[in-house]
Amino acid sequence: MRIVVCIKRVPEATEALLRIDPSGKKLSEDNLTFGMNETDSYALEEALLVKERVGGSVTLVTVGPEAAEEVLRMGLAKGADEALRIAPVGVEEADPALVAQLLAAEIRPMGPELILTGCMASDDGSAQVGVYLAELLGMPHLSLVVGMEVSSTGEVTARRELEGGVLEEYRVRLPAVFTIQSGINTPRYASILGIRRAASKPLRVAAPPTGEKMLEVRQLAFPPAGKKAEILQGSPAEAAEQIASLLRSRALL
Amino acid sequence: MDFQLSADQKLVQEMVREFAQKELKPMAATIDQTQQFPWESLKKMAKLGLLGMIVPEEYGGGGMDFISLAVAIEEISRVCASTGVITAVNNSLVAYPILTFGNEEQKRTYLPLLCSGQKIGAFALTEPVAGSDVAGMQSSARRDGNYYVLNGAKRFITNGGEAGVYVVFAYTAPALRHKGISAFIVERGYAGFTVGKHEETMGIRATANCELMFEDCKIPVENLLGQEGDGFKIAMHTLDVSRIDIGAQAVGLAQGCLDEALRYSRERRQFGEPIANFQFIQGMLAQMATSIDAARLLVYRAAWLKDSGAKRFSVEASMAKFFASEVAVECARKAVQIHGGYGYSREFAVERMYRDAKVMEIYEGTSQVQSLVIARGLLGA
Amino acid sequence: MSRDVFVLVEHRQGVIRDITFELLAKGRQLANGYGGSLWAILIGADLEAMAESLRQVVDKAVVVEAPRLCHFHSDYYQQVLATLLQEHRPLFTLMGHTSYGWELAPCLGAALGIPLAPGCIDIWLEGELAVCKRMVYGGKIVGEYSLRPSWGYLVTFPAGTFPAAAPSAQAGLIIRQQPPQLEEIAEKVFVRLMESPAGEVDICQSQKIVAVGRGIREREHLRLAEELAKTIGAVVACSRPIVDAGWLPKDRQVGSSGKTVRPKLYLALGISGDFQHVMGMKGAETIIAINKDPNAPIFSVAHYGVVDDLFKVVPALITTVQGMQAK
Repeated sequence: MRIVVCIKRVPEATEALLRIDPSGKKLSEDNLTFGMNETDSYALEEALLVKERVGGSVTLVTVGPEAAEEVLRMGLAKGADEALRIAPVGVEEADPALVAQLLAAEIRPMGPELILTGCMASDDGSAQVGVYLAELLGMPHLSLVVGMEVSSTGEVTARRELEGGVLEEYRVRLPAVFTIQSGINTPRYASILGIRRAASKPLRVAAPPTGEKMLEVRQLAFPPAGKKAEILQGSPAEAAEQIASLLRSRALL
Repeated sequence: MDFQLSADQKLVQEMVREFAQKELKPMAATIDQTQQFPWESLKKMAKLGLLGMIVPEEYGGGGMDFISLAVAIEEISRVCASTGVITAVNNSLVAYPILTFGNEEQKRTYLPLLCSGQKIGAFALTEPVAGSDVAGMQSSARRDGNYYVLNGAKRFITNGGEAGVYVVFAYTAPALRHKGISAFIVERGYAGFTVGKHEETMGIRATANCELMFEDCKIPVENLLGQEGDGFKIAMHTLDVSRIDIGAQAVGLAQGCLDEALRYSRERRQFGEPIANFQFIQGMLAQMATSIDAARLLVYRAAWLKDSGAKRFSVEASMAKFFASEVAVECARKAVQIHGGYGYSREFAVERMYRDAKVMEIYEGTSQVQSLVIARGLLGA
Repeated sequence: MSRDVFVLVEHRQGVIRDITFELLAKGRQLANGYGGSLWAILIGADLEAMAESLRQVVDKAVVVEAPRLCHFHSDYYQQVLATLLQEHRPLFTLMGHTSYGWELAPCLGAALGIPLAPGCIDIWLEGELAVCKRMVYGGKIVGEYSLRPSWGYLVTFPAGTFPAAAPSAQAGLIIRQQPPQLEEIAEKVFVRLMESPAGEVDICQSQKIVAVGRGIREREHLRLAEELAKTIGAVVACSRPIVDAGWLPKDRQVGSSGKTVRPKLYLALGISGDFQHVMGMKGAETIIAINKDPNAPIFSVAHYGVVDDLFKVVPALITTVQGMQAK
């Protein structure tokens, strides 16, 4: 089975102290660490599991600058077979619609049967690319997938996650696009041998002309203070005292 | 000149970093307190190829370079110095001499066991009365038909209590002094070989550091490593290589101290602001960062020399180990200081790191032995 | 150019979901602001009761019924919406940044070739230019984006962005519309809805919840949360990363993809508070957050906060409460 996995290199933002670049349009990259978008690594793992069960190949595709090759190499080291980086001419930041168009143009000729990607990138949180891509390729899609079984007849039974812990089950005929939610599997680490083998796997770069953007960043800012919790001051012990008396005064003990 | 890691080396760094942060860090405090050998972690590491990184693929290893090994040990030691030294010993003190001095049969027999983690290796050189003075060892082995019969005792053997394969040094011809020392591959379970007491150590407490006893222990002749009399040469060459990794372990621990100190100084508030705003704290952080960088460059340089096929790199390896181990001790001291009272408490990782650091100035050649090697290089002695 | 605002009604098993009324509130503001009407688009089967309940908040409710629409299915919905949008050309079409919105909005936008502004907290016009605001980088940064000029825009909003629209005296017009010829989608077939199995502890029933997030760092540290919970008589719940790591079962997860809880007390330990989590707990009576990051979004939903290391505050809290109880 020919499998394509779309991945993205993103900064680790939850723990980091973020700073905004003087341009006001992006984050300052000093002191940021980057890696594969979390749900994309679940998508890659799912692809590798499918390949191990039914055979085939896994092709990684990303849109981004040269530094994005890090995540492609890590994906190759984990077991993907080949990789493609799309670097559209003259584009610094691609929006989700443009990313989907670029992906569609490069993926269509590959003739994949299964396309997987993370359900959402942790940086922009758009959650658009996979489904947009499916529409452009004329394939069915299923988003937020938390479980899937691929049959030998090219049919997939998959469950997507709704709010409130409810699942929806679908039967989807391949070729199709699935956007993968975290927790569906346990992503593997690359192995030393995998890293060595990755060096000889093909990593291509495509530089297509740019497509049509739908969103353009004007400025980034820190959220305004707005409504804020009342911050309890003092040492940990003093803060604990205040919490305890709050609980008592509200009859919560 | 190029100060960048290669693409593969960066991948090793990223992979081991993620593994260490997610899988090893959560265990570090517990295995220090319980002195529990981290078998579970080692099994996972074996699967990833971290126990035989420098062993060629045909013997079950990863076929990587020494810079990658140093990078891996650094990332492991950044969160757990015990697991760091266990890995270093398995790779460079046991797998490496078997790979370099062993015959084909020995390599086929032992390397896959060490790489797969089925057996962990230990390096038995130090004796109760012979530390820096290797030639002062008292263990001896005499040939008896198809066996060598080994008698003696070894002390402070990292992995000693849990290992399955030991590289053991003993005199086969005491009259020849250091030219009369031979090296043997000894398996756990050979008659006459017992593991003695578990050492109560200050740091790296999860490394099954034990005493070994050999009483008429029968070793098959085919387990002689190299030729009779090669032991001293094997030990010295092996230590040159492994000092790079102890240097890497020290850099990793120092970096871990800086990680903790940075995090703490940003979070800890005194006088109404994070202590990171205070210049005395900033000064300590800057000194730590600078010395760690210098130590890392020395370690990578020594590993690079080894990788580039240099015949002699003893001086560079000693410099790396000498400097990095002192940086580790100093960084641990500063990290505890920055943590204040909390740094003295078991709740915080820096307390363990402070205890773990000290041995790096002692094992695999004390700082004084390293100075000797470096001075000999300078003076051409 | 139309200034109307469409809101796609999100419903499941005969019940309109809360997000719909939140979107209608925003939709009302946009429609009034730009001089258009507010339309609810209700797609499904057997919609009578739901249509009635919408009349009090909208100007018009378009009701599209067909057996094939009996359950949400993005392809059928897309066929209906594409036809409606091309016919009416509303300025804004609002949907939830929810599991339905994620499944539907991008392909609808791609099919119509109009911009989609996903996961917004606001949208407005500057002259003819549409501008939206969205939370990015896990809620730590707010970004302002301009959209490519178009006759209309798709906009999705996370649940909880706006207070729900209150019913008024007005009676909106119900327009029953025949669906377009719905082609059968054989390559994607809805099979069933599955409720996740009930666990031993029902966090929804508990009056007090101690919830842990990524900041707990290690599985071993859950014991600290459990001890605190035991001390104050609470149950332990968590945010998504804890479930993904396998440290707690799925039925302990609070958030949009987990449970929605409304306890008297919600004590959040090391939870950053991205919107998916906040969705599940913002209805709690008293929310206290302990997090070392003063910029963590959780502090804008919590009533009380402690900016410090939870590993110092929680043990102190346990001791203090135990001391009080001993007296």
